[in-house]
Amino acid sequence: MSEQPDITTEEILSPDGIEEAVIDLAKKVGAVCSGSEFAFVGIFTRGVTLARRVAEVLQQDGMECPVGTLDISLYRDDFDNRGADLPRLESSDIPFALDGMRVILFDEVIFTGRTIRAALDGLMDYGRPSKIELAVLIDRGHREIPIQPDYVGETLETTLNQYVKVRFREDDDKEGVFLVTEK
Amino acid sequence: MNDLQPRKDLLDIESLTLEEIEYVLENAVPFKQLFQRSVKKVPTLRGKTVLNLFYEPSTRTSSSFEVAANRMSADVTNFTISASSVVKGESLLDTIETLQAMRSDYIVIRHQAAGVPGIVAKHTRASVINAGDGYHAHPTQALLDSMTFREVFPDYAGKRVAIVGDILHSRVARSTSTLFNKQGVELAVMGPGSLVPAGRHDFMTRLSSWEEVFDWKPDAVYLLRVQLERQEGQFFPSIGEYHRMYGMNAERLDKMRQLGAYLMHPGPVNRGVEITDEAMRYEKSLISTQVENGIAVRMAVLHWLKPQTEKK
Amino acid sequence: MARLFKNGSIAKAGTPAPERVDVFVGDSGKIERVAPEIDAGEGVEVTDCSGCVLVPGMFDLHVHAREPGEEDKETIVTCGEAALHGGVTGVVLMPDTSPAIDSGNLVKSVHDLVAEAGLIPMLQAGCLTKGRGGEELAGFSGMVSRGVPMLTDSDRPVPSADLLRRCMEYARDFDVLVTSFCDTPSLTKCGVINEGQTSYQLGLPGAPAISQEIAIDRDLSLARYTKARLHIQQVSTKHGIDAIAVAKAEGVNVTCEVSPHHLLLTDVDIGDYNTAMKLNPPLRASEDCEALVEGLRNGTIDAIASDHAPHTQFEKSADFASAPFGATGLETAVLALYDRFIRSGDFGWDVLVQCYSNAPRKIVGLEPVSIAEGEKADFFVFDPSAGTTITAEYLTTKSPVTPFLGKTFSGAIKETVFSVG
Repeated sequence: MSEQPDITTEEILSPDGIEEAVIDLAKKVGAVCSGSEFAFVGIFTRGVTLARRVAEVLQQDGMECPVGTLDISLYRDDFDNRGADLPRLESSDIPFALDGMRVILFDEVIFTGRTIRAALDGLMDYGRPSKIELAVLIDRGHREIPIQPDYVGETLETTLNQYVKVRFREDDDKEGVFLVTEK
Repeated sequence: MNDLQPRKDLLDIESLTLEEIEYVLENAVPFKQLFQRSVKKVPTLRGKTVLNLFYEPSTRTSSSFEVAANRMSADVTNFTISASSVVKGESLLDTIETLQAMRSDYIVIRHQAAGVPGIVAKHTRASVINAGDGYHAHPTQALLDSMTFREVFPDYAGKRVAIVGDILHSRVARSTSTLFNKQGVELAVMGPGSLVPAGRHDFMTRLSSWEEVFDWKPDAVYLLRVQLERQEGQFFPSIGEYHRMYGMNAERLDKMRQLGAYLMHPGPVNRGVEITDEAMRYEKSLISTQVENGIAVRMAVLHWLKPQTEKK
Repeated sequence: MARLFKNGSIAKAGTPAPERVDVFVGDSGKIERVAPEIDAGEGVEVTDCSGCVLVPGMFDLHVHAREPGEEDKETIVTCGEAALHGGVTGVVLMPDTSPAIDSGNLVKSVHDLVAEAGLIPMLQAGCLTKGRGGEELAGFSGMVSRGVPMLTDSDRPVPSADLLRRCMEYARDFDVLVTSFCDTPSLTKCGVINEGQTSYQLGLPGAPAISQEIAIDRDLSLARYTKARLHIQQVSTKHGIDAIAVAKAEGVNVTCEVSPHHLLLTDVDIGDYNTAMKLNPPLRASEDCEALVEGLRNGTIDAIASDHAPHTQFEKSADFASAPFGATGLETAVLALYDRFIRSGDFGWDVLVQCYSNAPRKIVGLEPVSIAEGEKADFFVFDPSAGTTITAEYLTTKSPVTPFLGKTFSGAIKETVFSVG
């Protein structure tokens, strides 16, 4: 309650804006993937929602995109620094064979790249895809690892005292992308 | 999010809250699913050391912890210390100093004297997991028993489990019954009068025979091994008589079948004593599921506990 | 130097409320005057005892000084110092030393050490059986000639009823007290705690109360039959107390003792395997504890005896089943009893004086001590308004293991006024 004056929140994408970005992503992904065998894998939690939304758009165009889910908690590199955090693990579900498959990983934001690094390790413990690509809704920069997305909804310039809040109605009580700045 | 606080050690079930129990059991599910992958490992505990310190022999529990730790990519060291080479009590403090110096992150300890894991936990920074201390507690067994029961009975509250055998000397009976009771599962015990202690918990209803057990309509019967190596003195006339009176023989197995009741056992089994070969093949036996879930639960426990960090 | 204890009150048996008087102790150590107002005079050290109670020195019938043989736990000197620190001015030493005290020579050697220490009278008890082995009678006449007040196998029963019978019959001509530790080994077996809910929950082998009760019944019957004088150590059970009350009513010449630990604690207090609470006999259930307190109040229990049993902290740091039985008690007895019973008004100082000073002395044939003109100064000064926190630093015993570690009691023993000369 007391700290509110030091935090400002700015809406970057409205619900409509998100929808546009999703359709845009679907177009880019669809263009590259049509005709070959591919699957989506969403990173818990909102990467899964993003993957499903994109799959839905492509489905309307007649493309079938199986969607798997991946929990990367067990692959993170910051296990020692979890402090009092006690994460609930989700059941990863990859209901298709990965060997020889072209996989698009989905996450709602890419930042340092460590989450994606963990996701790559996790994914490859399930099998050997022929190609892995990355799709994100927001790229906020500040990479600490040489990992770059192949498909981006929006690129945002951010500073380190800011963070990006993506809210989807399936997971949260509102919808939108917000930039939160702490003074 | 959750009110759960991190915990360093797992010593018993008594001290766990329902939230903590739920947390571990729910997390055990994703761990179990890893077993279907060809790569069963996750790198979560890479670089961490798990020390298996077994003062009592046990291939089943020690190998379960070893597999669990390996699947978390931890470095595992096994010490089995036979009772004869340990002077009771005297070596414990010295051993604890050695353990501290080894800087293990996790110590899994099984000991014939109740209370030893607690002493080790007080004196080391490592997370201590009680793999069984005397007659006192075996918390990971209770957790895997609950996980197994809940897979079959997702609406487990109000269901009934009858524990049959040597309650007096059984840490499994104590821990598993305490956990089931916390979760609202109804409990009854049956066994030789000399092995069902009067000082047991009130929630353990006493049944006096297999007839009474079946009349009580249990959803599962949990058989205990006769703890011959732990008994000081004679508690029943002979193994033969024990098997006749308290063993799961063919006739009782048929009753189980009629009731649709499940069969559980913490292992290892004494064939011909509390159980028969035929009962081992019973279609509603959960015994091998218990073993599988044991690894998942132990992985979830290793994931949950937080060793103390050294202050630099 | 002469001393004047001013503005205090003195406790005595038979009078619940202490009596407000000044006490003048001459430099010979004798109480020269007791009166409401005494002027100090020249060269007299004045001690302000406002609000304090002067209590006759306590006498403890059951103390383990561990010498000879286990001097790393305690010695006669450190035991004597601990006694004085706890307001105790005389003790009976148990013979379970290494070697066990089962002959006149061994009694003499201990009494020589006691004289050398020069702190308080410490009477060595002798064994009933050779080496406490429970098989052959020890040398009664030699030991009695050296001044043993009682014979006991101390903390061990005499398993053979026939042998104990012979001890009782043989002892009659020696005017020595046969003292029995009542336990049934075949029931106790490897029990390390009272058998009940606590033993179940902690997963420890239990010793049932009937183990002591059956032995008390047996020993009372033997005493009745042989007309011997019997003292029963460390009563810890309700049915045991009931049996003693019945036997007394029937005229059996029996006395018994209880420790402050058993009056104040139950097996539930053991908590998370606290080995300082591992005692023999074990702490029992609340019904037993209540019966013991009632027994003290109604006179069924004659004496309080601490069973001061030091063990090194290293030994007590083992797991509960492996750790040795026993805790120290000389320095905490008075404090614990005051804090729990006298402060709350459950009973008065007179009961403490009766049970922990007069009766124990009488049981071993000694005269009671009192704070009166002409008597030797033998008392301690107790300040109810102060507090005492039991820490390893506070305790003077060599082995500061006590169930009360860390506890703060209301009241403090300011000093013990006694000299053995």
